Amino acid sequence: MADKVSFIKQVTKALGRTNITRPKDNYDTAIFEDRNLARANAAQAVADANSMAASLIDQMVQSADDAGWKVHRTDNYEESAELIVGICKDHNAKSVLRSAHSVLTDIPIDRALAASGTVLEVTEHSSQSSNRHIEKSKAAAFNADVGITGVDYAIAETGTVVLHPRAGVSRLLSLAPPTHIAVLRPGDVLASLDELFAIQRDDFLNGKLQGSMNLISGPSKTADIEGTTVTGIHGPLEVHLIVIENNKY
Amino acid sequence: MPETSNNNLGTQSVTLFATCMIDQMAPTVGESTVEVLEHLGLQVKFVDQQTCCGQPAFNSGFRSESLPVAQRFLELFEAVDGPIIVPSGSCAAMVRNFYTDLFRDDQSLVERANTLNERLYEFTEFIDRFFGSDAIAGSCDDRVTYHKCCHLLREIGIDEQPLEMLSNIDGLEMTPMNRADVCCGFGGAFSVKMPDISSAILEEKLDNIEATKANRVVAGDIGCIYQIEGGLRRRGSTIRVLHLAEILSESIRNRKTGKATE
Amino acid sequence: MKPLTINFRSKAAQTIGDEQVQNSLEHVYTGFYQGRINAASDTPNWEELRTKGKAIKDHTIAHLDHYLDMFSEKVEQSGGTVFFADNAEEARQYITELAKDRDIETVIKSKSMVSEEMSLAENMNDSGFETIETDLGEYIIQLAGETPYHLIAPAVHKSRKDVAELLDEDFTDGDRVPDATELTMLAREQLRDVFARADMSVTGVNFAVAESGSIVLVTNEGNGRMSTSVPRIHVAVMGMEKIVPSIQDLSTMLRILIRSATGQRISTYVTMVNGPKTPDEEEGPEEFHVVIMNNGRLKLLKDPLLRESLNCIRCGACLNACPVYRKVGGHAYGWVYPGPIGAIVTPVITGLKDATNLPAASSLCGACHEACPVKINIPRMLLELRHKTAEGLSDPDERTSKFVERAIWKTWRIGMMGRGRFDWGARLAYLFMRPFSINGWIKKAPPPISGWTVSRDFPLIAGKSLKYRLKHRHKKEI
Repeated sequence: MADKVSFIKQVTKALGRTNITRPKDNYDTAIFEDRNLARANAAQAVADANSMAASLIDQMVQSADDAGWKVHRTDNYEESAELIVGICKDHNAKSVLRSAHSVLTDIPIDRALAASGTVLEVTEHSSQSSNRHIEKSKAAAFNADVGITGVDYAIAETGTVVLHPRAGVSRLLSLAPPTHIAVLRPGDVLASLDELFAIQRDDFLNGKLQGSMNLISGPSKTADIEGTTVTGIHGPLEVHLIVIENNKY
Repeated sequence: MPETSNNNLGTQSVTLFATCMIDQMAPTVGESTVEVLEHLGLQVKFVDQQTCCGQPAFNSGFRSESLPVAQRFLELFEAVDGPIIVPSGSCAAMVRNFYTDLFRDDQSLVERANTLNERLYEFTEFIDRFFGSDAIAGSCDDRVTYHKCCHLLREIGIDEQPLEMLSNIDGLEMTPMNRADVCCGFGGAFSVKMPDISSAILEEKLDNIEATKANRVVAGDIGCIYQIEGGLRRRGSTIRVLHLAEILSESIRNRKTGKATE
Repeated sequence: MKPLTINFRSKAAQTIGDEQVQNSLEHVYTGFYQGRINAASDTPNWEELRTKGKAIKDHTIAHLDHYLDMFSEKVEQSGGTVFFADNAEEARQYITELAKDRDIETVIKSKSMVSEEMSLAENMNDSGFETIETDLGEYIIQLAGETPYHLIAPAVHKSRKDVAELLDEDFTDGDRVPDATELTMLAREQLRDVFARADMSVTGVNFAVAESGSIVLVTNEGNGRMSTSVPRIHVAVMGMEKIVPSIQDLSTMLRILIRSATGQRISTYVTMVNGPKTPDEEEGPEEFHVVIMNNGRLKLLKDPLLRESLNCIRCGACLNACPVYRKVGGHAYGWVYPGPIGAIVTPVITGLKDATNLPAASSLCGACHEACPVKINIPRMLLELRHKTAEGLSDPDERTSKFVERAIWKTWRIGMMGRGRFDWGARLAYLFMRPFSINGWIKKAPPPISGWTVSRDFPLIAGKSLKYRLKHRHKKEI
């Protein structure tokens, strides 16, 4: 059996060296960018997301549509809540699960859903991370008809919604229910993957990298049977993106 | 009567490397090449001792057999000045891109090859670079399609230029070929070593050619030309395949003799 | 997986003769190949991205020891476990022992070519763990008891009818063949139950980030996400070349990988795992294991002429571009990696002696090099391998060329070393061939070119060389 040291020693030898040598600065890879530059890149990404919010939202809407999201634009919270209730009703949803994203408490969605007679559950972390809790959380996700989340970021280049699983944002919430609704606000949209990974890198250098990250760009799909694209293999069959264009009301 | 040269070449004299296949199997392609170059006002020299660049053995892995042949090629053509013209994408690619690998145990050979390569051009590339793709006018009443030979396309980088040249020929109707840039399946010794696979690839090419309704196919490498024409003949097709130099020289001649429409 | 590279010729011939499979292989061109072409032309800085991707991989492979060291350290810092496996056997054993130790019942597998090297699903099933492939294509292949046909489209050779027979026990010959959507929904239902009860997952790794100890998974179906959400234990298996140095390198690498693989701007899901489930999370694997495998890759790394093959990001673009792959299909190559890149890594990893035909089966058209997102010069390496099999100069054991073949090339060389012999040889061939020709073409040629005339007429040698004709040409006025 190979232990780490002897395994890597073989690699060193195959490379024609006797010791691991640190590579010289090579700016083809970002690993040589220092902390200050990483911080500046990340700050710029966030600043751009705010200063160019309107145009980034337009781009996002376009590319999200290309990626297969059903996009709904609205300029107020009331209407966005109605849109969500409408989608749930269309799917005859009995059980709805939502994340703890703040946008979902800012919009009056709990009240609206309760009024429509749907059972709403919020994924919230119980202080004891017991096996029972995990099993309960999994079962809730697999049984839900609709999962609703905010977004941690969105990416205009690709029509992507980014979610960091954490307390209140379960991994399965945006995956297991047949319908996923994501709610986006101005300032959430980054220009491209470059900006997203600039922020991730800065978070990492500051010791703040989250446990995991999912980029979601449309409904689950496959083309494994005769090359025909079919939506909805393991994840949601339908994904909705609610875009709130103006949140200062 | 040769036309006055209006090029930025700085010489009126070029040397032809015919390639072994054109030399012994398709000398008319070589003659056409000479005719086109002469039409451009150039004097064409022929190195009498020339044989092969070494590619066939190199591609089959027999580098120790290829090496002396390549070295011989290098010595013969080092001895003449001026541009060397090769009417084959594949052989030009061998000298330009693969001699580095063949000669790698002797850096002085690599350097000599590099020096030679500064003045070695594939036929189409040469005309396009120094005379422009509109340098040759002619006429030819025919319907043709163009096949992009792999090495000419991917190793030498000649893509749309031949089509531009053909578009200057009066009376010539070009019909585009589906998947024109997909290999014909020739691949040198591959075509006889793995005939099943080579033929399967060829069949697809022949279907795409027949679908164009062209009478003739133009291509830039003699190996591919024989692969395609051999396949067409086996199918009983009357479509014929010719080298770009052949259709250019034919069109020039037509223009001179007033054979085709102006 | 046991290599069957020796059967290349017979498998290839079988596929060429199978009309249904040939029809399925058409999709490789019309779907994947065209998809990549379109995606590249929609990306203004495409060539720049390829150059950058190549530079990142070149750099990483040149310092692979450093980055493996860094990566494994970081995984362990974030609470994961790293196992270095010299070969497939060791990797398989580690995973099986882990499953035994943790009382695992059901293992879900995401698509991973590295796990195919270990025949992992088959072996774990034999060891008593219910092990299910969850990528739809892989699931179909598993039900069929076959191996993947393509790096990213494992079941590309299967028709809807084949799939219906595999998924639906009640399907009979006379039934209406379900459409792709119906079949996909049937698989969804079957696999949902499996996901819900899985207690361990095995996934591949698209990229492993050295600086943060992260792994990145690219999927469209969502099985990669299920695998990193549901089970208690997540095992990610990777070839040791999968590293990129920095988190920020991911934007370049993801862009070129996904566009080259499917023509999409991005896949539906990209999952980045930075360690096991964090304490305050709702769910997720409590254990995160990374298995880093050598399994013959050192041989590629050692040889500076073949090292570039480790830059491969397994997008499958070279397969889609390859005229040979599109005729002979994936199984002919006889091991995990088919197509042009397979024709390099398979012979080196499994032994060149049995796999001589893999590098030989190429017209050297260069479409693979043109398609490769990290610009791997595949034809050049195929030529290196041909050189080894022809002459075996560096390792005589690798020489598989026949005596006749060597004699032919020796004769060829002698003939090419002087103009007199060259003309004389051509003349002799001309005189010999002429009686068999009609209008300058031959219907049936003797060896060594008999292969040619199975499907093509062969041109007669000219009789008078160009040299002769130029000498005797009357200066025609043109």
